[in-house]
Amino acid sequence: MLPGGGIGPELMAYVKEVFRFGGVPVDFETIDIDPSTEGNEELEYAITSIRRNGVALKGNIETKSLTAGIQSRNVAIRSELDLFVSALHCKSYPGIKSMYQDIDIMLIRQNTEGEYAMLEHESVAGVVESMKVVTTDNAERVARYGFEYAKNNGRKKVTTIHKANIMKLSDGLFLETSKKVAKDYPDIEHNDMIIDNCCMQLVSNPHQFDVMIMTNLYGAIVSNVICGLVGGAGLISGRNYGDHFAVFEPGTRNTGTAIAGKNIANPIAMLNASVDLLEHLGFDYHATNIKHAIELTINEDHIHTPDLGGTNSSTEVVQNILKRLEKLTEGHNWMK
Amino acid sequence: VPLTRNYSGEVKKVTLIPGDGIGPEISAAVQKIFAAAKVPIEWESVDVTPVRGPDGKFGIPQTAIDSVNKNKVGLKGPLMTPVGKGHRSLNLALRKEFNLYANVRPCRSLEGYETLYTNVDVVTIRENTEGEYSGIEHEIVDGVVQSIKLITEDASRRVAEFAFQYTKEQKRKKLTAVHKANIMRMSDGLFLRCCREVAEKYPDVKFEEKYLDTVCLSMVQDPSQFDVLVMPNLYGDILSDLCAGLVGGLGLTPSGNVGINGALFESVHGTAPDIAGQDKANPTALLLSGVMMLRYMELSDYADKIEKACYDTIREKTYRTGDLGGKAKCSEFTDEICKKLS
Ligand SMILES: Nc1ncnc2c1ncn2[C@@H]1O[C@H](COP(=O)(O)OP(=O)(O)OP(=O)(O)O)[C@@H](O)[C@H]1O
Ligand SMILES: Nc1ncnc2c1ncn2[C@@H]1O[C@H](COP(=O)(O)OP(=O)(O)OP(=O)(O)O)[C@@H](O)[C@H]1O
Ligand SMILES: [Mg+2]
Ligand SMILES: [Mg+2]
Repeated sequence: MLPGGGIGPELMAYVKEVFRFGGVPVDFETIDIDPSTEGNEELEYAITSIRRNGVALKGNIETKSLTAGIQSRNVAIRSELDLFVSALHCKSYPGIKSMYQDIDIMLIRQNTEGEYAMLEHESVAGVVESMKVVTTDNAERVARYGFEYAKNNGRKKVTTIHKANIMKLSDGLFLETSKKVAKDYPDIEHNDMIIDNCCMQLVSNPHQFDVMIMTNLYGAIVSNVICGLVGGAGLISGRNYGDHFAVFEPGTRNTGTAIAGKNIANPIAMLNASVDLLEHLGFDYHATNIKHAIELTINEDHIHTPDLGGTNSSTEVVQNILKRLEKLTEGHNWMK
Repeated sequence: VPLTRNYSGEVKKVTLIPGDGIGPEISAAVQKIFAAAKVPIEWESVDVTPVRGPDGKFGIPQTAIDSVNKNKVGLKGPLMTPVGKGHRSLNLALRKEFNLYANVRPCRSLEGYETLYTNVDVVTIRENTEGEYSGIEHEIVDGVVQSIKLITEDASRRVAEFAFQYTKEQKRKKLTAVHKANIMRMSDGLFLRCCREVAEKYPDVKFEEKYLDTVCLSMVQDPSQFDVLVMPNLYGDILSDLCAGLVGGLGLTPSGNVGINGALFESVHGTAPDIAGQDKANPTALLLSGVMMLRYMELSDYADKIEKACYDTIREKTYRTGDLGGKAKCSEFTDEICKKLS
């Protein structure tokens, strides 16, 4: 467990509370990373721990240092563990008043290269070059993941998001690779869209999208647009997968510095991330119950934090989830 | 950087690039409306169809370049970029030729044309000359490609200066610098540093910094928290389209390109080949770009009048074009605006 900065620690406390209450057989090894240190000992320890445990639950880790050479710790974790894909299932909750209803988009994002390659230099004073890297291997792995997901989950269409009209080689490679992969999935429709048009379409006609695949930066943009459309930063979880490890976190990857410690942060996104973790570990019983308790709290009991237009505190949301969880698991003697 | 140019009473010449596809129709509509409003300008229509230069390369004809250089102000319809015909995007070429370093796109909810978002009033200012559009790309080894995003202090400072000046002159409340300096620490970091430095010279303009992704999240939730935004090229491309989407799309949003040698105002939508020549196009985006141009030329009275006639016509619904769900032809919409002006 990497709580990260801002609201991370309080959200993690809620996860622990729910797990304890539900008798979930998971122990957390908690590692705090101090955002203001220059050294990377804690980070390396965290990465070693994830390698050992195979899975992690994380908040957003800030990197306060302004030294150019220091890279974002979030990015370091993803690249070190080769978590090449990030997957966000963006699904509306019927109980939440938001701009659009009935959105159900699976967003698949390349997670380790592209604009996040962190290769930058100042050629001469006042002139900076920043490298974006796209590789066939990674483009293929992402496309493959997207089409496999579509095939296994009854999805009909995959859309590749790019800017290949301008970045002809890099985004062109990404697009061409996904077109090539698409040929192996004749039953799934494939189309593509330029990122600026995609954003315009998302805010005016989001229901046309089903599964979307894209490079790293466009993923950051599109995920935040869609999360905004379905109700904000506090709802949707994100899954980071590699061949060997999996890391779960809130989908919009915000720190929430301004709302930390006020008992107003929405605990749902992190709780959903913990449900993803349980599913990944095969604890389906616990995953299903917690997920169900979350849905009942949002859709039927309407216990909402201020970001959703509600008046409830974070702890009231959590208490209600516990209450629901208790009812759901009544008579089930899980302690045995 | 002056936002407005003072021209004394005389009739001023303006370059008009009608463009391709629906371009000629909507340009004619704008000319007709300007005439009805008795705007004191004279159009100089030029063709920018690429010609083969002495070096054998295709480029913008010299007469067009001379016209813009002389008039310093132009209005432009959409241009088609033929795929793979050996010349770059004409839009890009025009930007380069006239050093149009700042792209300004106001997006405002149209009273009377309901979209989900009713409270949008934001202006995006986009650096227009570098960044991800540097065109520097190469394949290092088989299957590994690099694209270079170029950020310079000069271009960043220039667009920041423009943004602060604009925010101040237009009496807007706040300027937000949009960046991703947590990831692109040096390049976006440089852009951000330039904004901060210029901010010191404008203590009365409220300034804030926000991450690109956070702006996306907040923009679709509550656009009213934003006012003027300034950002590097690609982010501006994406955010300006997103904002246009909030208020009903590209058929309604104007834009201006301000540069060192002049300013070129344009509709951002494409050539719409599917409806070209059928009198179906909506001229609003080009008309409102013309309105922006008039304000730039300090002909605000005319700008206000035309803008009002346009908004009124859209609000009254009777003469809406197809893209707004109406049945009117481009010419009918145009005539109604002219009627209101005379
Ligand atoms: N769990 C949450 N519940 C409610 N609101 C949230 C939550 N997470 C993020 N937000 C809100 O989403 C918005 C963006 O988050 P935030 O400010 O953390 O973004 P950021 O760009 O990561 O900034 P910083 O890293 O400085 O915190 C803020 O308005 C924040 O309050
Ligand atoms: N001014 C307008 N009035 C009405 N409809 C428009 C207008 N501009 C664009 N459209 C419609 O919007 C859609 C997108 O057209 P647009 O020309 O912007 O993109 P495009 O087809 O890719 O053209 P281009 O290749 O020139 O960019 C088309 O269906 C077109 O009919
Ligand atoms: Mg953040
Ligand atoms: Mg665009």
